[in-house]
Amino acid sequence: MTKHLTLRTRTTTAGPVVEIAGDLDYDTADKVRAALPGLGLRPGQQLVLDLAGLSFCDSSGITVLIAARNHALAAGASIALAAVPDRVSRIFRIVGLAQVFPTHPTAAAAEAAWRPTGG
Amino acid sequence: MCETNDEEGGGPEGDEGPVDEQAQFSALLEDSAEDLYEHAPCGYLSTQLDGRIAKINTTLLDWLGYQREDLVGRKHFSDLLTVGGRLYHETHFAPLLRMQGEINGIALELKAADGARLPVLVTSTVKTGSDGQPLLIRTTVFDARDRRAYETELLRARREADQERDRLQVLATTLQQTLLPPALVDVPGLDVAAHYHIASVDQVGGDFYDLFPLAAGTWGLFLGDVCGKGAAAAAITSLARYTLRAAAVYDPDPVAVLGNLNTVLNHEYNGDDPRFCTVVFGLLTPDPDRGGFHITLASGGHPPALLMRADGTADFLPTPGGQLIGVLRDAHIATTTVHLVPGDTLLLHTDGLTEAHTGPTAGGDDRYGDDALLDFGRALAPTTASSTISAVRDLLDTFGSGVEDDTALLAIHAPQPPSEEQQ
Repeated sequence: MTKHLTLRTRTTTAGPVVEIAGDLDYDTADKVRAALPGLGLRPGQQLVLDLAGLSFCDSSGITVLIAARNHALAAGASIALAAVPDRVSRIFRIVGLAQVFPTHPTAAAAEAAWRPTGG
Repeated sequence: MCETNDEEGGGPEGDEGPVDEQAQFSALLEDSAEDLYEHAPCGYLSTQLDGRIAKINTTLLDWLGYQREDLVGRKHFSDLLTVGGRLYHETHFAPLLRMQGEINGIALELKAADGARLPVLVTSTVKTGSDGQPLLIRTTVFDARDRRAYETELLRARREADQERDRLQVLATTLQQTLLPPALVDVPGLDVAAHYHIASVDQVGGDFYDLFPLAAGTWGLFLGDVCGKGAAAAAITSLARYTLRAAAVYDPDPVAVLGNLNTVLNHEYNGDDPRFCTVVFGLLTPDPDRGGFHITLASGGHPPALLMRADGTADFLPTPGGQLIGVLRDAHIATTTVHLVPGDTLLLHTDGLTEAHTGPTAGGDDRYGDDALLDFGRALAPTTASSTISAVRDLLDTFGSGVEDDTALLAIHAPQPPSEEQQ
């Protein structure tokens, strides 16, 4: 029933961009969690999670997005979401996370909005 | 090997060794084809087309404990089989062999002269003459005692695993029950019903609810959903449930209650493994003047409650801006108030309901959703607590395995006073 989750990571001047595609749920969330340490986030960078291909996100998915936020903040970096699907932004509104994650229409817009903070 | 060839000067590969050495070697290997036949590490058997034994090697005779003259010309291959094996031979083995001309690796049991059973793997081919007519059947028999022992061991291990799983399911169910109130308290003037839908018998879910008395004339209720499932979620469910009950005793203000829970969870779980829950906490006070109950609902990121009114309308009671509990240092708790007038019913639910897969096979991409639930409530209103729960249970049943997550339901209803009902 669950669609596979695929992750693709690329690096921009602003920091890593992780494209998360498929169903992000109890069965797949650990894949994202496991990928966090390998991102090599540096202070002042911005971690962008590109959700354009996200088909579903449940509470375990939300958890791992929060884990990503904690991970970024602990590294002195920031986090932003790009291309949040309507369904997911609706869940974000219900659980009150809309204010917590800066969101951008595209990953490119997220990169453009990034300003170096000097760590 | 390559290195050796290089050292030998790159001559043509293969048989370069002295001729007499090779002859000795092959003599050592196969001094007699007859000896190989008789003492091969497997049983050989030739039978006529009707199964009568024409030739049998010493290996197989030794395994079975027969003399050659006991069998050759006297017995059929099927006579060597157990009753079950004979039946299988008649109905499957022999017909397939006739049809295909060969049959491979069939597990059978041979009966030795002393009655002992010998598990074997049997392969047979039909030997044909130059005109294609079948002449006789050649059969090899491999000792499968080790393999059978291995299979028996596998079966035993599997039985044990099944028993373990049964025990685990009992444990999970028991644990689940400890997370829920054994019975909801009786609130005078309030009709209450609840249901917990278990999505998986193997894993404890993270939904919870409760209804309990507070200081004189007030009642507390909550319903929530811990992210994830399994033992880790159950531990947080337990912590959340007891924290909520204790916090409500000290300060029943719904915002304070959820604020306390947020502090507790935020201290316990953070970093790469954050744990959160979404909760609705309500404070109920009977309204002696207007009848029914005054309710203050506080929401920490939980799906809105559904109010089904006495007049047949229904609406969600949104609490915009409320944030999930446990991951943000100062989670914002949003509140709303509602007067539950006689005839009104309030339904609290977890998102196992609205996130359920719908559609014919319940495996599609469609989820039930909030809009469908609102329509459902509008069709149901006016209703009662027990009617609401039974209607939603029926709804969950129609989703079948489409309900992937546990679902908790709590409905409260202010009944019409008896005098009004008669009007």
